[in-house]
Amino acid sequence: MTRENLHVRKKLYDSGEVSQSGPTLDVRYYKQQRGRPPRLKFESSRPVLTQFAAGGAKGPEDGHANLAYEVSQALANMQGLDPLPGILRDYSQALSIQRMGERGENFAALVKTICQNKSTKDAYLSWLGLLRPEEIDDVGTLDGALGEPMFMLQEGGHRFPAPVLSDGTLRFAALAAAFFQPDRPHLLTIEEVENGIHASRLQLLLELLRSQAKATRTQVVATTHSATVLDWLQEEEYQTTFFCQRDEATGKSRIRALAKVPHFHAAAQKTPVSELFAEGWLETTA
Amino acid sequence: MSFRVLVIPEDPTLNGYILKPLTKAIVAAAGKPAAKVTVLTNPRLRGYDQAVRAIRTNLAERYRHMDLWLFFPDADKAKDDTTRSLEEKRAVQGTGLLCCPAQPEVEIYACAAFRNDIPERWEDVRAHKHGDPRRAGGGRDRMVEATLQNLPLLFQLCPELQDLRDRIAERLQEY
Repeated sequence: MTRENLHVRKKLYDSGEVSQSGPTLDVRYYKQQRGRPPRLKFESSRPVLTQFAAGGAKGPEDGHANLAYEVSQALANMQGLDPLPGILRDYSQALSIQRMGERGENFAALVKTICQNKSTKDAYLSWLGLLRPEEIDDVGTLDGALGEPMFMLQEGGHRFPAPVLSDGTLRFAALAAAFFQPDRPHLLTIEEVENGIHASRLQLLLELLRSQAKATRTQVVATTHSATVLDWLQEEEYQTTFFCQRDEATGKSRIRALAKVPHFHAAAQKTPVSELFAEGWLETTA
Repeated sequence: MSFRVLVIPEDPTLNGYILKPLTKAIVAAAGKPAAKVTVLTNPRLRGYDQAVRAIRTNLAERYRHMDLWLFFPDADKAKDDTTRSLEEKRAVQGTGLLCCPAQPEVEIYACAAFRNDIPERWEDVRAHKHGDPRRAGGGRDRMVEATLQNLPLLFQLCPELQDLRDRIAERLQEY
């Protein structure tokens, strides 16, 4: 941890640069009042957020502590999804679940749960149907000897079990399924979202994330190394798309919103963002 | 070889869900039931002006091999003389282009099947739960599917589509 600050519409607290030398941490508390913000002391071994949320006589006001508590709860309900095709191809251990594992464990059991409600299944299938050039008639599971489910797609009346489906198809199916989990996270993080997915389907992938984040009120944070993904961003999303770069002088990571990169808007009007990214133009603006 | 149609929307993200099945149905009604319909996604167009510029400049290099281009602008921006000039210019350069300004915009075609119980705009349709925000395209696919169940009625409600079908049929006779 190098610095911890909290903004909920306005800045609530800021630890400044954290040094690891002492047991306590002085944190500026912005009470939204005139004058210099007071300093509160917190343990340096634990996140300020949860200590701030606990309030207390010498701590923040109740309203501010409650805001911090809500943020801590939202962060606690996080799912870091990185579905692995090898796991997605396997039988699930559970028969029916409310949320799959972060590597895609029990994915087939989740699909089985999704398919128990017709309208939910239809909505899920509507996404899968756009993934492959062939017509997908159905989605569901096949049962093993003990009733354990395995994911399958049906095309032209033929069932294709998970082991014969491509990595990209399975990953897309798992990412789409995440939005249909009965127990959805507040925050869904996805590492290298484009992995395995055909370049011509990246538009669909972005649309899935965009529309389902909105429909299910799930915040999505995804990382990508794909230049093509950037071309499918909408202009307003430049505010919430961040470019991460290592500072050569200090070795620290530097993160900037695309909208705040100098000259970005002018350059993006004339050149696809994918090209700006691929040719290293963004690094030159540091 | 199948008849290849390039659909040029003002914005492919959501209009594609409507225009692809709609175009397949219209081209089939015009005499080509197995046409291969591609919705243009690259360059990614953002609005009428970009679409017109792309048609005038760099699309021909990439999509010269398509048998027919169909451009569906929103009618509020598309001027008759502009669309006519686009068609004429592309004809001179050997690409068959037909423009079909949507009245008032493409999404109205998905609403046609629901005209009796809703006002005519997409946002109103969504409020009446004909769409589904959890489906791909927000449910546009299902709505246009319902609309295409009765193509003659759609032609009656949206005469520009009937006109488009007739113009495609004329082209096919030359093809």
